[in-house]
Amino acid sequence: MNLENSLRLKDNDGIKILELDLEGEKVNKLSKEVLIRLSEIFSDLEKSKTTKALVILSKKPKIFIAGADIEEIKALKTPDACSTAAAQGQMIVSMPEDLPFPVIAAINGACLGGGCELSLACDYRIASDDPSTKIGLPETQLGIIPGFGGCVRLPRVIGIQAALDIILAGKSVPAKKAYKLGLVDECVPATALEEYAISYAKKIVESGGKKRRKKFQPKGVMAKMMEGPLKSVVFSQAKKMLLKQTRGHYPAPEKAIEVIQKTYGMSNRAKALQIEAKGFGEVAATEISKNLINLFYMMEAVKKQTGVADKSVKPLPVHKMAVLGAGTMGGGIAQLGADKGFEVRMKDIHNKAIALGYHHARDIWEKALKRKKITKYELEQKMDRISGGTTYDGFKQTDVVIEAIVEDLEIKKKVLAETYKNCRPDVILATNTSSLSVNDMSVALEKPENFVGMHFFNPVHKMPLVEVVRGAKTSDVATATIFDLCKKMGKTPVVMKDGPGFLVNRLLLPYLNEAVYLLEERYSIEDIDKAYLNFGMPMGPFHLLDEIGIDVAVKVAKIFHKAFGERAAPSKVMVGVADTGRLGKKNKKGFYIYDDKGKKGTVDVSVYKDLGLSHPSKKLDAKVGIDRGIFAMINEAALAFLEDHIVETPQDVDMSMIMGTGFPPFRGGLLRYADSIGSEKIVDSLEEFAVKFGTRFKPSNPLKQMAKTHRKFY
Amino acid sequence: MSSPRDVVIVEGIRTPFAKAGTALKNIHAKELGRASLKELLQKTDVDPNIIDEVIIGNTGTPSDAVNISRVIALNAGLPLSVSAHSVHRNCASAMESISTGYDKIKAGIADVVIAGGTESMSDMPLMFQRSFAKKFGEFAAAKTFGKKLSALKKIKLADLKPRISILEGLTDPFVGINMGQTAEVLAKEFHLTRKEQDEFALRSHQKAVQAQKNGRLAQEIAPFFIPPDFKDIVENDVGPRDGQSLEQLAKLKPFFDKKFGTVTPGNSCPITDGAAMVLMMSREKAQSLGYKPIVSIRSYAYRGLEPERMGLGPAYSTPLALKRAGLNLKDMGLIELNEAFAAQVLACIKAFESDSFAKEKLGLDKAVGEVDFEKLNVNGGAIALGHPVGATGTRLIVTLMKEMQLRNVQFGLATLCIGGGQGGAMILEKEA
Repeated sequence: MNLENSLRLKDNDGIKILELDLEGEKVNKLSKEVLIRLSEIFSDLEKSKTTKALVILSKKPKIFIAGADIEEIKALKTPDACSTAAAQGQMIVSMPEDLPFPVIAAINGACLGGGCELSLACDYRIASDDPSTKIGLPETQLGIIPGFGGCVRLPRVIGIQAALDIILAGKSVPAKKAYKLGLVDECVPATALEEYAISYAKKIVESGGKKRRKKFQPKGVMAKMMEGPLKSVVFSQAKKMLLKQTRGHYPAPEKAIEVIQKTYGMSNRAKALQIEAKGFGEVAATEISKNLINLFYMMEAVKKQTGVADKSVKPLPVHKMAVLGAGTMGGGIAQLGADKGFEVRMKDIHNKAIALGYHHARDIWEKALKRKKITKYELEQKMDRISGGTTYDGFKQTDVVIEAIVEDLEIKKKVLAETYKNCRPDVILATNTSSLSVNDMSVALEKPENFVGMHFFNPVHKMPLVEVVRGAKTSDVATATIFDLCKKMGKTPVVMKDGPGFLVNRLLLPYLNEAVYLLEERYSIEDIDKAYLNFGMPMGPFHLLDEIGIDVAVKVAKIFHKAFGERAAPSKVMVGVADTGRLGKKNKKGFYIYDDKGKKGTVDVSVYKDLGLSHPSKKLDAKVGIDRGIFAMINEAALAFLEDHIVETPQDVDMSMIMGTGFPPFRGGLLRYADSIGSEKIVDSLEEFAVKFGTRFKPSNPLKQMAKTHRKFY
Repeated sequence: MSSPRDVVIVEGIRTPFAKAGTALKNIHAKELGRASLKELLQKTDVDPNIIDEVIIGNTGTPSDAVNISRVIALNAGLPLSVSAHSVHRNCASAMESISTGYDKIKAGIADVVIAGGTESMSDMPLMFQRSFAKKFGEFAAAKTFGKKLSALKKIKLADLKPRISILEGLTDPFVGINMGQTAEVLAKEFHLTRKEQDEFALRSHQKAVQAQKNGRLAQEIAPFFIPPDFKDIVENDVGPRDGQSLEQLAKLKPFFDKKFGTVTPGNSCPITDGAAMVLMMSREKAQSLGYKPIVSIRSYAYRGLEPERMGLGPAYSTPLALKRAGLNLKDMGLIELNEAFAAQVLACIKAFESDSFAKEKLGLDKAVGEVDFEKLNVNGGAIALGHPVGATGTRLIVTLMKEMQLRNVQFGLATLCIGGGQGGAMILEKEA
């Protein structure tokens, strides 16, 4: 990269314009070399006599500055190294504040992290109203805190509450919102940004060319109290809310609160920045941050992947899709497709089922409308993309058909064959099956190469993972098309081979099974669920069983038992629960009590008696409880990944588990977690469990092999 | 002689027709239109990109969708590039849409046209009077509280009396009598008894109920799912009355001429909500795409007459359409003659059969011909099914062409009377 060409300085009658346009890069980012070049430019300008004002803008479309260089942060190992790096960045990013003339940031496109922090050190900020303009501080999502002065300056500019809102959630706001918050001084049409910024600068120069340091002015008594005498309440309230969400697993936002509280209102800038740099060092060097950064890279990688190894394969264009079955899954898929702009045709046996599909979809959008995420016009437009009927009318125009009917192999085979006859010959058929084999289904099809598994998770609009399952005959084009479609539907696809339960359910089941074994051993449902919540799972295994549907879990458990033999033997209790008429949330009767609206209450203690168990008497050792469930998953993962090659990389496993089950992202995923413990230790524990709790724990061969050779998954 | 520029109809579909104030009362006309157009796209699997024009009839012209055709086209998901316009010929608006499409295709301006009509008569608004609008304007423009108050004071109770658009719409603006009264004019002139009219109405219900029961009407109806909760699905027309009897009809009081009249709500069509759509193409286009059209359009005609006798419109327009088609009334294997009022239908039939009418009014040598009741409105008509004014024209064509296909009939006539004193007629020929 030629830095001279990447950061260009122009002159417009004494108004200097700094154009950012990193050569050979898609985005502008504040890497070390860019920062150094910036400091040179700022130093020169400081000495220049002719400069009346400076405008900083980007020549990249849709990007102002995307942030600091994450690769550089990831490479920093110790807290000290991290703090030092932050302090160096702070020094340079702070320079506009000290220049003897006003500095104006003209922001078009993403202005995130370090980019946002640079703009905060400018005297004025003007944003374009382009939809790509987003200003914010996403650092906490990567397990770090804003370390180029963001923690210090943002609260000063927009107030404590708004700043906490952005920093703790790692949010960014569009231009209009930024204007409302006072984060920018003007919101102007994108095409007029540069011209406006220059005339704005000229006006400031004409009126004396003074520097300014914007300070948030709270309006109203309440707001003044919150920013003043009551600010400690605001901080403690924010911390309480945060801990409720994170259970203490995410130190970065906690650290951000601490830094903001310490530095807010501090007149000594150097000291405030020092506190920030120290705080940055403390979180940036943690394993948690490294895990979250890895996850970020994995997500970015998916954006570039096509789902197949052969790069010459291009996905087929998809304009219209059809969904077979308008139930919870089918209706959910239809909603998602229409939401993302696809024409969707639903087919079911009865109009009543179609009506449920419409209802399901509209319900989701009505909620979005209420939260002002969409307008009523958008709601109608989205709704109007869906149509439904009981015939194959409209199927000849569809590019992809997704089957989401009853989980019965023979019925699916029949319907898929029939569907193919009513479609164009080049149609791609996909199945949303969760428990049946893609290969078994494909025998009914004339063109098995155009058939792919596309396993969404429930609820479709919320769960980010889709398992894209390649049958033995599935073609690259079909795989790439479904992979691309998943991305266009806003999902994270992971390609895998066919096999019982594919990946996520295959790994999840031993875990659920183990929870039920614990129940059988007289541990309480509350204790077991709480232990896993504390581990970082989004919900405990019994809560999850209620969500999935106990009948479904039992059905899958039986399939797995048949497929995998002894190690997948379900607890007697597991089989027994379904017989007590407990289906979970769907019939408002499960391990937990549900009210009429389906809201979850406390544990339904009658479940113990129904299962012929006495009231739980034993106190759970949380560590053993968690190890039993998580190690069972790791054991199965070793088989699925290393022996059956269901997926190709450890990243695939971790991505699937995080996106599909909510496995705690701060732990980096199931296999990263396994690596952090070590295969030897896991094998030892499994052997011990096998003796104590049952032979199902016997460590698998690939895992034993790993332990023997001291290998890791990564 | 078939020509590549012949105009063919590939497929047609409609929503259920529901008496105003019932099943579809909360549905906007644009939504009725969208739903039927969307289903037409599915049923035909036509590539939306090849559609040249969307033409939709509508009389109410909702103020929030003034070019309703464009609104429907976009809502149904047609590409932005497809042009769309709305047409208005009162009760024949949805025949006008088809005949306009016919002209465009014949002229080579278009190859693929979606034509249809939509109407929500439940949704016809109440309007303020001009006197109120003027005073309200003064109030809104007043700058001070005092001026606002004095402007407000000027508004009298009488200013608030609403103008009922549906009543105004159904009143002839030229002669000042309403549509029912025009039917009374014909009933008296053609000496039609109350009993004749009631019997005709009864047959309409009986035929419609039978066509509902044997699934015939379902063939042209796309079920309508009622938003926002979709608890109700309208699968059938709401209008035909099973078990309707002559006695029940006889009990109803004449509505339009309470003293000497014979026209009752029972022997008139109800105001109704509904929409209908057809896909039209040039013969060569349909052939190249591999479609098997149901009918071709042989001819059409509109003709004017006295507004107070508007119900006689078909008697004027039909002979002209026949002449253009080079056919006779006896060639028509099926006839759909819209049942605005039983009196008006019966008057038309008498006029068709009358030599003197033919000579005096049409300048013909002899009567147009006899109408075989066995071929007329075989699945019931508007008295039972309803008459959503802006949609009926297309409904007649859809019902007729489906029946021609079922019965293997070569020629069929669809004709209707038009408020304001016109008649419309279209002659279809069955394809292969």
